[in-house]
Amino acid sequence: MTRVIEVENLTKIYKGNIKAVDDISFDVNEGALFGFLGPNGAGKTTTIKLLTTLASITSGKATVLGHDVSKQPNMVRKSIGIVPQDLTIDNELKGNENIMLAAKLYHVPNHVAKKRVEDLLELVGLTDAANRLVSTYSGGMRKRLELIVGLVHEPKVLFMDEPTLGLDVNTRKIIWDYIRELNKEKRVTIFMTTHYLEEADALCDVAAIIDRGKIRAQGSPQELKEIIGGEVITIELTKERDLQDFFSSIKGVKEVKKLGSTYGIKLGMAEDAIPAIIDGIYARGVKIKALSCSKPSLDQVFLEVTGKEFREEESAEAASRRQDIIARRG
Amino acid sequence: MLTETLALTVRELKKWIRTPASVFIALFQPLVWIALFGSAFNPTNLIPSSIATPEVMAQIRQSILGQTFGNAPNYITYLTGGILSLLLLFTSAFSGGSLVLDRRFGYLNKLLASPISRASIFLSRVFATVVKGMIPSLIVFFAALSIPDGLKLNPSFTLLDGLLIFLTLFLLSLGFSSLFTAIAMRMTKWESLVAVVNLLNLPLLFSSSALLPVTSMPDWLQAIAKINPISKAADATRTLIVQGSVDLSIIMLNLTYLIAFAAILTIAGGIASIIALRTE
Ligand SMILES: Nc1ncnc2c1ncn2[C@@H]1O[C@H](COP(=O)(O)OP(=O)(O)OP(=O)(O)O)[C@@H](O)[C@H]1O
Ligand SMILES: [Mg+2]
Repeated sequence: MTRVIEVENLTKIYKGNIKAVDDISFDVNEGALFGFLGPNGAGKTTTIKLLTTLASITSGKATVLGHDVSKQPNMVRKSIGIVPQDLTIDNELKGNENIMLAAKLYHVPNHVAKKRVEDLLELVGLTDAANRLVSTYSGGMRKRLELIVGLVHEPKVLFMDEPTLGLDVNTRKIIWDYIRELNKEKRVTIFMTTHYLEEADALCDVAAIIDRGKIRAQGSPQELKEIIGGEVITIELTKERDLQDFFSSIKGVKEVKKLGSTYGIKLGMAEDAIPAIIDGIYARGVKIKALSCSKPSLDQVFLEVTGKEFREEESAEAASRRQDIIARRG
Repeated sequence: MLTETLALTVRELKKWIRTPASVFIALFQPLVWIALFGSAFNPTNLIPSSIATPEVMAQIRQSILGQTFGNAPNYITYLTGGILSLLLLFTSAFSGGSLVLDRRFGYLNKLLASPISRASIFLSRVFATVVKGMIPSLIVFFAALSIPDGLKLNPSFTLLDGLLIFLTLFLLSLGFSSLFTAIAMRMTKWESLVAVVNLLNLPLLFSSSALLPVTSMPDWLQAIAKINPISKAADATRTLIVQGSVDLSIIMLNLTYLIAFAAILTIAGGIASIIALRTE
């Protein structure tokens, strides 16, 4: 299989010694839908900027379709499409004018462009709104327009930075279908970033988990889940008790993690161990407040490989970091 | 490069036309200037009329216009060339404005990630600004002609003189738009742009012969005014208006100066922009 994107020991250090991307390596095969999964500030956008020639590489190497990103930027630019994280369509132009302008910038002949623009607008359901100024669009409509503006020159590789950020569940599902269609039917190789685990799980063939500039794990969502192994049961006790040693001693338990009064217990074969765990808890005079048993999810993989809870990271520290980023951009 | 430059220029102009306020102001402002400067600032009115009989006053006015204002029939006629030059300076000053916004809203990144020549990003703003300045200047020219006791063209004025006036203004606009676009190339804030524009505009204006003849200035200012491109454009325009179809050699020096001014700034601005747009 041809490798469409090759990244070797890529590092980006911004001014002020901020190491946004730290020695990462990965390949994306032709036709793949590659997901870059990580919390805010992980270095996802920076990686896209490096691969799309928008930021200079500090060290390491990256090629897209065989073209060196730093040595042949124009060759790379011709063959890629970008859907940036921030909405960047021009509000003061109409929907179709935005795409036609993109077509001109990529030297798509006029008659070809007209047909494509129609098809693309149809694809995201914007045909009726095409002739309106974008300033009259809703946020979801803008996002959908943004998705197709980068496609009018039929790029072989598409970079999407958090394509479903800030969309409602319904629109997100529509966009997922659209991304799948692009990838499976139009055979566009897609590199997308997301901080929604379920998104990577639902869409991607291959995903890499990135945190603080480093890739912590990569593989198909299935392979990533296998890092966790079998099922995981989560038990919340009515009060905090140290039962770590007891759980660990039960046959079939692979690993025990404690978070306050909640335990995450990783099992080889759940059926054998569950009764023993429950009996043991009651025998020690402790009551169970909640119990759930789950197939491994990428959430747990994330917890496993980064040693921290995904959502927690997203809320506090990263929220302030995101503020920083917005402030700096503004 | 041509396709992209044209497409991006059209984008600028579309956005301009769609903001009626900006078009209206671009037209209205210079008309107000002419009306205000032309009547309130009329230097020939500064002499108290009590010092002489009306006949003597009229003579004094006439001789001021004759000697100081290069034989212009009235102050508005003297002023028009200056106001047109100013109009183009002021419209050019915000030439980089859309760049600042494009950078801020991420549109610039989209342009930079596309395989367009970086020069087209620069040139499109420059060309759009020139158009945005030339259209109002045409309108102002005809408006000044049509107001009572307004602009009076020399009877020998021909179409060629008219074209030369607009060539002069075009060169001035091209030069200043290039300068101001290049300055804005790395700016991220509208406020910085306004600051720079304010810093440059008024000194450029007052060190020129746009409003008053160079001879009324102190020596040091005269030295500056003589090399100020606004003076060159204002003087050339004025000469064409007041003297009509003239011996070209009289304005040739000014025109050559402006051609050099426009060419150097466009090329230097273009190169500076390409450097400024390099990936960090
Ligand atoms: N232009 C810049 N200059 C300096 N530091 C930067 C710049 N852009 C990003 N950073 C820093 O690099 C790190 C990675 O940022 P990046 O935007 O790549 O994160 P991300 O994974 O895309 O996050 P998010 O999910 O919030 O979009 C952050 O710590 C950020 O503060
Ligand atoms: Mg990002």
